[in-house]
Amino acid sequence: MKQYVVRRVALAVPTLFLVSIIVFLLLRLMPGDVATRMVEGHAYAPTLAALRHDLGLDRPMHMQYAEWIGNIVLRGDFGRSYWTRQPILDEFVRRFPVTLELAVLTILVSVVIGVSVGIVSAARQDSVSDYVGRVLSIFALSVPYFGLAVVVVVLPAIWFRWTPVWTYVAFTVSPVENLKIMLIPALVFGVTRAGPIMRIMRSSLLDVLRQDYIRTAWSKGLSERRIVLRHALKNALIPVISLVGLQMPLYIGGSVIIEAIFRLPGVGLFFFEALGKLDYPVVQSVNLIIAAMVVGLNLLIDLSYAFLDPRIRY
Amino acid sequence: MPSSTRVSGTNSEGASTAPSDASPRTQIAPAKPALEQRRSRPWYFDVWVQIVRRKPLGTVGGAIVVLMLAGAVFADVIAPYGYAQTSLRDRFVAMSAGHWLGTDQLGRDLLTRLLYGARVSLYVGFGAVALGSALATLIGVASGYFGGRFDLLLQRAVDAWMAFPPLLLLMSIMSLLGPSALNITVVLGLAFGIQNSRIVRAVALSLKEHTFVESARALGSGHVRVTIGHILPNVLPTIIVVATTGLSTVILTEASLSFLGLGVPPPYPTWGGMLSLAGLDHMYQAPWLAVWPAVALSLAVFGFNMLGDALRDLLDPRLKGG
Repeated sequence: MKQYVVRRVALAVPTLFLVSIIVFLLLRLMPGDVATRMVEGHAYAPTLAALRHDLGLDRPMHMQYAEWIGNIVLRGDFGRSYWTRQPILDEFVRRFPVTLELAVLTILVSVVIGVSVGIVSAARQDSVSDYVGRVLSIFALSVPYFGLAVVVVVLPAIWFRWTPVWTYVAFTVSPVENLKIMLIPALVFGVTRAGPIMRIMRSSLLDVLRQDYIRTAWSKGLSERRIVLRHALKNALIPVISLVGLQMPLYIGGSVIIEAIFRLPGVGLFFFEALGKLDYPVVQSVNLIIAAMVVGLNLLIDLSYAFLDPRIRY
Repeated sequence: MPSSTRVSGTNSEGASTAPSDASPRTQIAPAKPALEQRRSRPWYFDVWVQIVRRKPLGTVGGAIVVLMLAGAVFADVIAPYGYAQTSLRDRFVAMSAGHWLGTDQLGRDLLTRLLYGARVSLYVGFGAVALGSALATLIGVASGYFGGRFDLLLQRAVDAWMAFPPLLLLMSIMSLLGPSALNITVVLGLAFGIQNSRIVRAVALSLKEHTFVESARALGSGHVRVTIGHILPNVLPTIIVVATTGLSTVILTEASLSFLGLGVPPPYPTWGGMLSLAGLDHMYQAPWLAVWPAVALSLAVFGFNMLGDALRDLLDPRLKGG
């Protein structure tokens, strides 16, 4: 187990190194110049050359890269925004709870819906409820979350004069107000993400229910509830968990759009605004931090298999 | 529905011996002489017959896709107005005889814009998938067939690429390249290719160990001949499956990028762009502006999903799941 973790972490290092090179080069090789925009549109400095020197853009590329990555590794300093001159990490930490809360609620919604409908579908295979469940999952797979979000913002406003709350309240300030704000975005996003979970839960549970140990459980005279929920479910959950893990990047990517629609001050919006202003350090560092989180999360998910299925050893 | 009338014995071998239900399409395909005694249709034709017979949902999906294709191709002919034709007198007209789906804030006909929007979705979708499939094949076959250090290095690069949330990476690239139909097609193709090269690589890896590859090598075939002549034809069904199931994802990603203003620039209509936040204020006045593009997008994704699933079940049962 310990050896496995060490090996996985060791493998993650070169991956993240490559990630950092990709984002860095991507931003440098593409057309578009932040200095020109800062000087011409916003008079940040008297001349282009002065600003370039100020931002360190006049130095050779490998020096810029070494400085960026060196500061991160040695001092945990992710750099400052070109435009606001504020430390990126501070802003990230300030905004991260919003995105995390959205992600957690979304996953909760999609897993609760997906798993419960999947269980009913599998336990009552080919019944009416199975068909209803399958139609629902196809529906959830087809509707784009941002389309649903826009419709959910617009239609209730017209029909019931109801609009989502636009001013954000932190969870620590008022949990109830905060949940009122977060619930609708999480529901919209979660419902559309429940489709794949439903499908994989159903097929995986069907698979498990046909195994020998389940037949043994039946012949022992256990109730159906006990067999499905206690004996089969835990084993059937493994593919569901790896699916949620695989979809993690999608949750994070989607949160950009959801945050933009519902005006939530999260990391996604921070990233999107930085992109619009060609704020290289922000785009680079946020990409890198999130990629590191994805890699770490995948490791956690792999480790959780051992808990769910004691036969799995590392 | 004639599609579900026959159930038994319709695998690809048995299909030709079964009495065909007098549909004219079954007679077009010429029988291949010699060797293939039992099969009268080529496989790529047979698949469509099988879908209609055995996959009702796949058939519905296929019909939606055909409809969307027709709408996109003949948009110039069937669209009642021009896609950028404004009319100040007809702003925010609700659904009516003159404007079936209503008009927007500039008096542009929504139906017309949806038809032209289908063009963008399909152009970008098919373009990106074609490009991506070619790239996935190239990377996958090369990596799987040659193996060794080359494979190791290439796969670490693929690992790194896949550690990014795809939307963040695509947003970064698109905002720097600038929005345009060509840019978004190339970028989505690149992402699609790198991601799916894994699947192609896995198939190529297992094919490499087959005796037919070994005998081809023993007969003196070079690497080029083995990969193109022997590996490629066997990877093809997998690639077709990856491409069809991926189309809906690509169309959806294009829509999300257009939604954020990073896709195809206005005034050309895109479904994602029509839904975008820039028009939110107008949607309160004219809710159909939000509803119809969302419906069109959902229908398209549904169509490609169902068609892709049906094709996958028939072409490559190994990939079945989820």
